[in-house]
Amino acid sequence: MEPPKIWREKRQRYLGIGVKCLDCDYKAFPLTSFCPSCGSGNVQEYKLAEKGRIIQFTQVNQTSNDMMANVPYAIGIIELEDGIKVTGQIVDIDYSLIEIGMPVRMVLRVLSKDGTEGLIKYGFKFIPVD
Amino acid sequence: MNNEDVFIIGHGMTKFGEHFDKSPSSLASQALMETVTNAQLEKELIQSIFFGSLVTNTNSQASVGASCIRECNLSIPLTRIEAGTASGAAAFQQAFQGIRSGLFDCIAVVGVEKLSDFVNSSTIEKILGTTIDYSWEFEMGATLTSLYALLTKAHMKEYQTTLEQLALVPEKNHRNGVNNKNAQFQKEIPLERFLSAKRISEPIGRFDPATHCDGASALILASSEFVSNNLKSNDLTEVLGLGHASDHLALHHRESLTALSATQIAAKNAYDMAGISSADINVAEVHDSYPIGEILAIEDLGFFPKGEGGLAVEEGKTKINSEVSINTSGGLKSRGDPFGATGIAQIIEIVEQLTGQADKRQVDDHNFGLTQNVLGTGAMAYVNVFGKKEVKK
Repeated sequence: MEPPKIWREKRQRYLGIGVKCLDCDYKAFPLTSFCPSCGSGNVQEYKLAEKGRIIQFTQVNQTSNDMMANVPYAIGIIELEDGIKVTGQIVDIDYSLIEIGMPVRMVLRVLSKDGTEGLIKYGFKFIPVD
Repeated sequence: MNNEDVFIIGHGMTKFGEHFDKSPSSLASQALMETVTNAQLEKELIQSIFFGSLVTNTNSQASVGASCIRECNLSIPLTRIEAGTASGAAAFQQAFQGIRSGLFDCIAVVGVEKLSDFVNSSTIEKILGTTIDYSWEFEMGATLTSLYALLTKAHMKEYQTTLEQLALVPEKNHRNGVNNKNAQFQKEIPLERFLSAKRISEPIGRFDPATHCDGASALILASSEFVSNNLKSNDLTEVLGLGHASDHLALHHRESLTALSATQIAAKNAYDMAGISSADINVAEVHDSYPIGEILAIEDLGFFPKGEGGLAVEEGKTKINSEVSINTSGGLKSRGDPFGATGIAQIIEIVEQLTGQADKRQVDDHNFGLTQNVLGTGAMAYVNVFGKKEVKK
């Protein structure tokens, strides 16, 4: 991944910053400068809900080189409490114990490493809620 | 015939598989020249070419079309079209528009991909990552295979589709592919092999996905005026209807995980334009890059009610000469999937079926055919409907 892209996306990836429309209340992620629903430019950044539940999930065994250190890992679609849906890894739990509907919480983790000397890319993943 | 009719007057393709000794442009040239011979035309009559390919820079060459037309000693307008794994169908639809608009009378379409040059499978995963939401799916850890696994699990949960029904899709397609000399794998694989294989992304097994390989395919499209001036009496394939629709790039933004709405909309548009319905289709080539792809396709194209695709496969309703013959060529699974060349190879199979040239794969009723080519997990879908027409001079 190119450094300008990491810089551009860092607040979304590190903090989970989305956008909400002050005119129609629509919420969206990733960031946009206007409301994807009503088109209004009257939008404000906000922090996504940290908690959500698993909609569907599976396991990844083969991916690009910079993420191969983590395989096999679980990936799923998570619906957050504010209604936003995102794709993310489900970590800190044995794969056989993951279930649809399971409550999870957003955490910051390493997503990929470009070799031993390249950039390390961070982003959010999900862990089970106790 | 009226002036708006568009016909396919020639087709040709390389064998799909591993062509370590061929460059992308030489594969494209081979398919194009075979198509010119098949159409019995002087190649100088072609007025424009559209190339469909996903990978922009195999062998560091950006426009594969430029080196292809040099090899073929042509100097005509050329445009490369990219629509991910549906680039072939996208290029075809551009060519159709070029003729229907009246700007051109004879256009070639070439699809090509050279994927055996990428020896590291991680590179292919990254290329496939560009057909899903690269930033918010792929970089978060999802892969195309894992997203198809989510679609598969959602269908299994909602409609009780079974692993056996899913495995019957590639099993059937390999059986059909035995009789396709251009298929990468001309052999049957027993059902048990699919079911007992290691899961690569649960519930998708190692033998379930189509393979990413090399190949090129080509068509020549012409107006009715060009046909009357240049061709002898013949059975030709007429393009009756087109549909193209899009959906959210990321699965997590979609309303449903159990239907591809882009396919549904594209199919409706194609049927409306052709003036026929799904019940009229005798033979169809659909995007079976994963087993669930074919099950979603036969439901979303209207061949079977939503949720009954798995059952239809189990009851043999998609075999050759059954209710609707699906993937008589062997599909992406047995033919192999060189992305840009796939959408055009699908159309070639329909042309051969409608004109009665499909040999051992030939279906008895062959009045109407359909192709469905999909980008990624369904962010774009292209549906084309074809009919046969006897052209008399």
